[in-house]
Amino acid sequence: MADMLAGRVAVVTGAGRGIGRGVALGLAAEGAKVVVNDYGVALDGSAPSSGPAFDVVEEIRRAGGEAVPNTDSVATWDGAARLIGTALERWGRLDALVTCAGILRDRMVFNMSEEEWDAVIAVHLKGTFNCVRHACTHMRERRYGRIVTFSSGAGLFGNPGQANYGAAKSAIGGLTKVAARDLGKYGITVNAICPVAGTRMTVNEEVRRARELRRQQGIQREDRGVAQIEELDPDDVAPMVVYLASEHAGGVNGQFFLCFGSQVALVSQPRPVKTLYKADGDWTLDELERLAPATVLEGLVNPAPPKEA
Amino acid sequence: MAKRLEGRAAVVTGAGRGIGRAIAELLAAEGAAVVVNDLGAEVDGRGASRRVADEVVEAIRARGGRAVANADSVADFAAAERIVETAVKEFGAIDILVNNAGILRDRMIFNMSEEEWDAVIAVHLKGTFNCTRHATRRMREQRRGRIISISSTSGVYGNSGQANYGAAKDGIAGLTRVAARDVGRYGITVNAVCPGAMTRMTATAPNAASRRARASAASRSATSAPRT
Repeated sequence: MADMLAGRVAVVTGAGRGIGRGVALGLAAEGAKVVVNDYGVALDGSAPSSGPAFDVVEEIRRAGGEAVPNTDSVATWDGAARLIGTALERWGRLDALVTCAGILRDRMVFNMSEEEWDAVIAVHLKGTFNCVRHACTHMRERRYGRIVTFSSGAGLFGNPGQANYGAAKSAIGGLTKVAARDLGKYGITVNAICPVAGTRMTVNEEVRRARELRRQQGIQREDRGVAQIEELDPDDVAPMVVYLASEHAGGVNGQFFLCFGSQVALVSQPRPVKTLYKADGDWTLDELERLAPATVLEGLVNPAPPKEA
Repeated sequence: MAKRLEGRAAVVTGAGRGIGRAIAELLAAEGAAVVVNDLGAEVDGRGASRRVADEVVEAIRARGGRAVANADSVADFAAAERIVETAVKEFGAIDILVNNAGILRDRMIFNMSEEEWDAVIAVHLKGTFNCTRHATRRMREQRRGRIISISSTSGVYGNSGQANYGAAKDGIAGLTRVAARDVGRYGITVNAVCPGAMTRMTATAPNAASRRARASAASRSATSAPRT
């Protein structure tokens, strides 16, 4: 066992499977004591079970590490409070929070039900806020903390069929940027990972069927195909998360990292790239019609051009 | 000269004041029939008054435009459907949706209450989804539509003290990118605007003066990244 995080205490949400499991194992391997949180639900958020969290705790203990399970849902304010409280009660401190918990309910926006929207927003977005909110009050008192959230290219770049997930992941990006600025002065960093990996969330029969349907209809996704994602090991995401959770990354705050396979990429954040000026007053529609197409709008491509009915 | 939006029907949410009102009035001036939606609430989302939407409708009609008022809350899935259907019922279609309604409850994240988080996410993010969801069903049948959602530099750059608002506004950006890809093939476009403007909403923010300066600087500076 290495000791990059010796004496540190971490909470990892959604740590029973996939990327979260890899992060929990990685933190423990570096000496951190880990609260392994997993609500143990099916991919759509139903049927909770304590199995996954306990399994990962056992795995950490067998390797000589320290861990405790927690099976609260991050989607509730009180559940997140109990989760953070588990670290404080057991070990008296919390140094790192990693928020991996998430579910999927893909549907084209015009067919998406209110329940499909609410469920995904509740776990990803509210769940991330709940955990960050409860963790940061403690971290602020101790003037130290490392928070790593999970955003996604699905939100930052836009994947069809994922209005709920894309909105949640993009919103986690906004939350991350604001939290980084709210908390940086207290020695707390907040960064986001945009992972690509083959997990039960990204590679399953439903995803395969949906992708095949889109392919038949000529709707292109801009991410990789299922075959390529299947080859991307979720454990590949863990090293960068563990690094960001360590003391060494104290100068990294409010940043986004795309992690897949053996790549770690810094993601650019939106900035104005072309600007129209007017010396006096508001733009008129005549002026915009005349000037915008050859300036700010020049070269733009419709990601989903109209098709004949 | 012919008006650009003659025969089109538009819905503008949060159109009772500020940016939304200006958009509703300009759409109407260009010939669009406009559903002026406004709950008539305070900046923090409390209270409601139908007068707010009614006043804008009266102003539009006084200039010869077409408009009807609606005081439903965008944050409610069923109510948002009523907003969209008001355009269909009154004007026969919904060609344009402007998602503008929003509230503020600024607080540093370590002090933010669950209620402050929920209220802002509900109006901005869920409200934008609700209206977009119902409008795209109609627009998809029509094979035409324009959706413009209001995001914010607060989410894009990250403004301290606005975890709820910044998350909601970046969430709207993500929703916009996905929706554009979901409905583009049906002749519908979905885009977002990040405004810098002094309204009663930004005036209540704790650092309104510095934000005013920043918004002004952002609108004037060309390629330099605005300070965050």
